[in-house]
Amino acid sequence: MSVKINIPSYLMPYTDDAEAVETDGSTVGQCIDNLIKQFPGLKKMVFDKKGNLLDYVSIYADGDFVYGDGLTRPVKDGDELHLFYVIGGG
Amino acid sequence: MITQDELERYDRQIMIRGIGKAGQEKLKQAKVVIAGGGGLGSPSSIYLAAAGVGTIRIVDHDVVELSNLNRQILHWDKDIGRNKVESAAEKLSQLNRNVRIEPVEATIDENNVSVIVAGFDVIVDAMDNLPTRFLLNRAAIEHNIPFVHGAVFGLEGRVMTIIPGKTACLRCLYRGFTPQAKFPVIGVTPAVIGCIQATEVIKYITGTGKLLTNRMLVYDGLKMKITELSAKRNPDCEDCGKSRGER
Repeated sequence: MSVKINIPSYLMPYTDDAEAVETDGSTVGQCIDNLIKQFPGLKKMVFDKKGNLLDYVSIYADGDFVYGDGLTRPVKDGDELHLFYVIGGG
Repeated sequence: MITQDELERYDRQIMIRGIGKAGQEKLKQAKVVIAGGGGLGSPSSIYLAAAGVGTIRIVDHDVVELSNLNRQILHWDKDIGRNKVESAAEKLSQLNRNVRIEPVEATIDENNVSVIVAGFDVIVDAMDNLPTRFLLNRAAIEHNIPFVHGAVFGLEGRVMTIIPGKTACLRCLYRGFTPQAKFPVIGVTPAVIGCIQATEVIKYITGTGKLLTNRMLVYDGLKMKITELSAKRNPDCEDCGKSRGER
């Protein structure tokens, strides 16, 4: 299944400046894993050393912000996800 | 009551459908607390003062530093070393003599957050760190005060308006803290985000338009793209969820 993941500008240096990446997977987690497979340098920005999704990173999927405990959420062909991280600057 | 002088000053905005004289009177009576007198606090306070919000409390504990001046447009070269709230109050009072400016020099913490926001109509989140934003989010819910969140990083920004007990709050969306570190930013980003925050405040006070509730506006200046992500209340939210009781 082809699922597009939108990459925020902040993380584009880790995706060769790609604004969006086509991934393959049937769950949000599988799509993120596929994204990391394509761009291994992104892993440290998304996962902690134990392999858990960082708690200030989420994936916006069809109206929901999905965190580490929701990566089994199914996706369907043509879905669009947003890699999302918390910002706090002012 | 709006004076003749104010009718002239606000003539162009009174022409706006949804504001009018009645809306201008509401703005005059309104009390807004702006948490942070820096990058976001500068544009939001300037435009709220210009619009005639009657009372603006601006809260910050910092002094003006040279490295602030690329974005914190309330503060100028001559202000380096001054308290930010003192510098802000001077400029805002000169901008609009009809507005009451309340400078509060304080570090917002668990002990004083309630006192700082109590009795105000709207809170503008113009902080520079997540822990204080979360404190304000909770205080807004406890005091049932609308909370207009804004945040920036580089050329990216976010805005969302929270109506306590009714719409998704910051904690419904955000779980963790980013590591505390100096963040990149250029003045145009908080200018855009702060102005959107001020717009939300004006809309809320005058009761016009559609608020940015249950949706987060994601601004990416590098791509020059604005994305709207819908947001839902989390029934288990530690700040506004059912376990803390509906308000």
